[in-house]
Amino acid sequence: MHTPYLIWIILIPLLGALLNAGFYIYHIKFKKLPEKLFAIIGTVTPFIAFLFTLNLFFKLNDGSENFEQFLFQWLDVDNLSIEMKLLGDKLAIFMAMFVTFVGWLIHIYAVGYMKGDDGFGKFFAYFNLFLASMLILVLADNPVILFIGWEGVGVCSYLLISFHYTDGDNVMAGNKAFIVNRVGDLGFILGVITLFFALDKTGISFGDMQANISIASNDLLILSGFLLFVGAMGKSAQVPLYVWLPDAMAGPTPISALIHAATMVTAGIYMVARFHFLYSSVEEIGLFIAYIGAISAVFAAIIATRQQDIKKILAYSTMSQLGYMFIGVGLGFYSSGLFHVFTHAFFKAMLFMGAGGVILALHHEQNIFKMAQHRKRLPIISATFLIGVIAISGIPPFSGFFSKDAILAAAFQQGEYLIWGVGMFTAFLTAFYMFRLYFVVFVAPNGHEKEYSYTDKTITFPLMILAVGAIFAGFLNFPAIFGGSAFVDTWLAELNSVKLHMSHATEYALMFASIAVAVAGIYVAYKKYANYDVYKPESEEGLIANKFYVDEVYDKLFVQSIKRLSRYFDETVDTKYIDGTLMLACKGFISFGKKLAIIQNANVRYYAFYMLAGISATSMYIYITLIGQ
Amino acid sequence: MGAADILSFIIFLPAVVAFILMISTTKIEDVRNIAFITTIITLILVMKIYLNFEPKAEMQFVTNIEWISSYGINYYIGVDGFSLTILMLIAILIPTSYLLLWEGRTKGYWLNMLLIQTGVTGTLLSLDIILFYFFWETMLLPVFLIIGIFGSGNKVFSTIKVTIYTMAGSLLMFVAILYLGVSFFNEYGHWSFQYNDLTTLTHLGYNEKLFLFLAFATAFAIKIPIFPFHTWITGTYSDAPTGGVFLLSSIMAKLGVYAVVRFMIPFFPDIFVEFSSWFVFIGVFGMIYFGIAALMQDDIKKMFAYSSASHLSLIAAGVFSLNSYGINGALYLIIAHAIATGGLFLLIGLLHEQTGFKTIKDLGGIAKKAPIFTFMFAIMLFSNVGLPGTNGFVSELLIIFGIYEFNHTMGYISAVTVLVAASFMLWMFQRAILQERVGAPLQMRDLRIKEIVGLVPWVIIIFLMGIYPDPFIDKFEPTVTHYINDILKIGAIK
Amino acid sequence: MASLTGYATVSMILFSLGAIGVVSRRNVFIIYMSIELMLNGINLFLVTFARYHFNMDGQILSIMVIAIAAAEAAIFLSVIILLFKTKKSLDTNVFTELKQETE
Repeated sequence: MHTPYLIWIILIPLLGALLNAGFYIYHIKFKKLPEKLFAIIGTVTPFIAFLFTLNLFFKLNDGSENFEQFLFQWLDVDNLSIEMKLLGDKLAIFMAMFVTFVGWLIHIYAVGYMKGDDGFGKFFAYFNLFLASMLILVLADNPVILFIGWEGVGVCSYLLISFHYTDGDNVMAGNKAFIVNRVGDLGFILGVITLFFALDKTGISFGDMQANISIASNDLLILSGFLLFVGAMGKSAQVPLYVWLPDAMAGPTPISALIHAATMVTAGIYMVARFHFLYSSVEEIGLFIAYIGAISAVFAAIIATRQQDIKKILAYSTMSQLGYMFIGVGLGFYSSGLFHVFTHAFFKAMLFMGAGGVILALHHEQNIFKMAQHRKRLPIISATFLIGVIAISGIPPFSGFFSKDAILAAAFQQGEYLIWGVGMFTAFLTAFYMFRLYFVVFVAPNGHEKEYSYTDKTITFPLMILAVGAIFAGFLNFPAIFGGSAFVDTWLAELNSVKLHMSHATEYALMFASIAVAVAGIYVAYKKYANYDVYKPESEEGLIANKFYVDEVYDKLFVQSIKRLSRYFDETVDTKYIDGTLMLACKGFISFGKKLAIIQNANVRYYAFYMLAGISATSMYIYITLIGQ
Repeated sequence: MGAADILSFIIFLPAVVAFILMISTTKIEDVRNIAFITTIITLILVMKIYLNFEPKAEMQFVTNIEWISSYGINYYIGVDGFSLTILMLIAILIPTSYLLLWEGRTKGYWLNMLLIQTGVTGTLLSLDIILFYFFWETMLLPVFLIIGIFGSGNKVFSTIKVTIYTMAGSLLMFVAILYLGVSFFNEYGHWSFQYNDLTTLTHLGYNEKLFLFLAFATAFAIKIPIFPFHTWITGTYSDAPTGGVFLLSSIMAKLGVYAVVRFMIPFFPDIFVEFSSWFVFIGVFGMIYFGIAALMQDDIKKMFAYSSASHLSLIAAGVFSLNSYGINGALYLIIAHAIATGGLFLLIGLLHEQTGFKTIKDLGGIAKKAPIFTFMFAIMLFSNVGLPGTNGFVSELLIIFGIYEFNHTMGYISAVTVLVAASFMLWMFQRAILQERVGAPLQMRDLRIKEIVGLVPWVIIIFLMGIYPDPFIDKFEPTVTHYINDILKIGAIK
Repeated sequence: MASLTGYATVSMILFSLGAIGVVSRRNVFIIYMSIELMLNGINLFLVTFARYHFNMDGQILSIMVIAIAAAEAAIFLSVIILLFKTKKSLDTNVFTELKQETE
């Protein structure tokens, strides 16, 4: 059903970005403008977008058809007809809802966090642009338009990570993010192309591809499924394309909260869900995705247990939770995976914002042990942080429990006991390192007097709202065995997710197991860290603390070798071989000419000799030819 | 003077003005202003043609006058969708580039720029192959002068190298042209060098055609450049003055691609199809090779030379991929690359004037001092990298589609283009523009109004072509389809 | 009267001696003398055949050669004097101004 409103969801943040950009240029070139102007434009636009989304949500809930909006013909060459068209079906609106809502809250948070920064206006311009790109991504009707949003969020991520660009480290982190993402994008584009040709060029919009999926051969489907997932690996920081995510923490905390917790990194899972018609028909790739998710989850969790920078702990935690989401969608449980995306957005954003609040209060200190040494009293932040930590550890009735448990049950039901086991172990580790973080930063005794420190309302207000979400969002998908309506599952029924159907006994047993595992993790953390002497920080040695040396391996394997190859190409192949051959030809001419010139030695006798020789030869020749007559 | 004469006017106006200026005024400002007005007039005339052009597959605005009638050489010019798009590109780029080259040039510089414009436009519009050769060689002389006199570094060596190298290729092509003319005379009894006549040759043996094809291919391969005929670009691009390098990379290189499509495809369609895999492979290989070689360059102009060569190789690969995605994409990338690379070279030229830097190590901290400059630079850079929303993305997408349809493996390899340019561009951007400089800060002023006015049309085109590509492609798609279906007879096979 | 062969042989020997002298002697005077020797050898040849065929053409040509040789002598000797004035030597190896410069 056509609607004219979908485009406004995208255009309004875009407009906000352009306005802020224009005002910012005015601000630096001519007269300074007050921060309030940028702040108001920056925070009002996401809220309006959220209202539009909410409107469409209610309409869909009332039983309306999926919304579409055709804008214009983007490209029409041969059989390739790409339209600039937006699709507002239940999945898209689901994503758009929490993206705009959480995005709005983080924009408010950013007003307080970025106060006093030189590039305040520029920040909000980029931030709104990011939101607009993410909305293009979720509302796209075909993978090419999705890719426009996909790359758009990548660029904004680059711009925002390297926001304080005078420090080279930030820019390097931004570069790393962009380039590693690009490797993923390479896979994505190839996946789209393979799929398009495999479907015999019948159409490129999601609807067309879904209708024609049976044309493609199984091998090509597996190939394109794999390639598309490579894109997701890059965007959602799974093994082996995850190395950019911890470095991305160099950017200001609001963007870590928005981009690297709630929105951009979830694009990969959204993409897999969007292509559900593909992945449902090639279960091998789905299994592969689930395994990659499991590996990433446990790998990240292990590294997180020894990290000392608060944002890096949260970054690895994000990677780990994203692994869970991929286990979900990989095994075909699209709605469960997406539900975890939803709950995770709330508590992870809240955790990041809380961390940002602490960082600000302690003058940009990010090492958890040093934070504890100079702790100040921050009641609201502590409380919301505790809620977030409990939620992520999977303790009922907070939301994290429902979403994580659904995924673990899914793995168990499909017979993937290895994945289930890994998931349980990761849950244990998650509880452990999150509570390690909480205890060290907020609880462990220190020698200082705790003074109360005032925190800006713009920082605490979003935290409180998100806390409510973190606590209660679980009830949106309350499982049937408890008598709930499983709202999210029914909402996303179009995706034909695999349904959970196991005996109640099994389900209770599994739930009990996951709670037990989480409590065990909390207990171990409590024993070790609740009374930790924070003046004795943990060592930074060892395999785990050095993140398994993956960065170093990548550097040696890829970066150094490409640099050497580059030098080789320029200096040896180009200059010595190719150009050398050319110059050899030139020098050959010149030396040949010089050798010829030796004849011209200006000595008359030689010239006389040449003349004599020439005339003799000619005469002999004429004589001999005339003899014949 | 009919409508068809507009083309002749467009070609010769800059040369006539240059000649008049040469013998009359001596004040540099007057020379520059008049040259600028001349290019604006040319732009207006080209726009008139653009708006009156119908999207059909035939030549329009044709003029055909006898020139050397005893040998069938005519003054035969005309325009079709393909050449029109490139003509429009040239007409817009040259006046706006003047705005970015405004200060500090001498009279000879402007005269050479005008003459190059004549040569380039003439090459683009010629349909008689001897006339084409005439303009092709005419392009070389002002470039020779502009690099040799106004360049820097090893300028004399570079300009002699590029001139002789290009001429060697052109000479080979000339032999082939004469051979074609003689064959035509032998077959039909009268002389003609018009391109639509020469396509009707039927008595050429396979070996003859092969030799002719390779002769033409060598000449164009040197111009574009294609691996391994590329070694002149690093020296020439880094020693040429800004206007020279801009014209070389943005415009003259594209004429090599244009000539391939205009002459090589209609003359030798079967050999073209036969050798297409080779050329696609060389194109894709060149793209990756040049991209990697660009990574460790310290001299920014050399890095951009390699980057330019990388994109041009991709364009060549697209042209040889024998399907409408590839060829349309190649044409689109011609436009996108001309704007992005031209813009980058001009901005670097400005930077060089202000700061006198030599290598990337000398640069840094530009972003703080000149934010608008950084903004424009970033947009050109992102178009070069192929970011969605810019025309670079649309073109590269189409080319990858095209090469994939041609050969799946090549298609996969060609997609690496998205990665290659990103790496060295971003790294360069970080070191040269964003990061603080080691040592004393540079003296750099931000862009003046004139320069911003010059760059704004380009930025608009980049985004317009990126967000709404369909109307642009419509203008030349019929020609491309005509080429594929009728000339290459691929359509029948499909 | 000696046979034709004898006269022809003598004139060829004279000519060859002259030619070798031009090529192999270094002194300019000797080169000039050798040129004269060559001319006289050809004269003998011409006269021999004129007498043999009873045709005056050979003798007329021979008189012309003598006349030209005389004119040439005048110029030659003046040039030699000028050459000697510039380089104070009459060795042909010394006069190499037009040589290609080797780098």
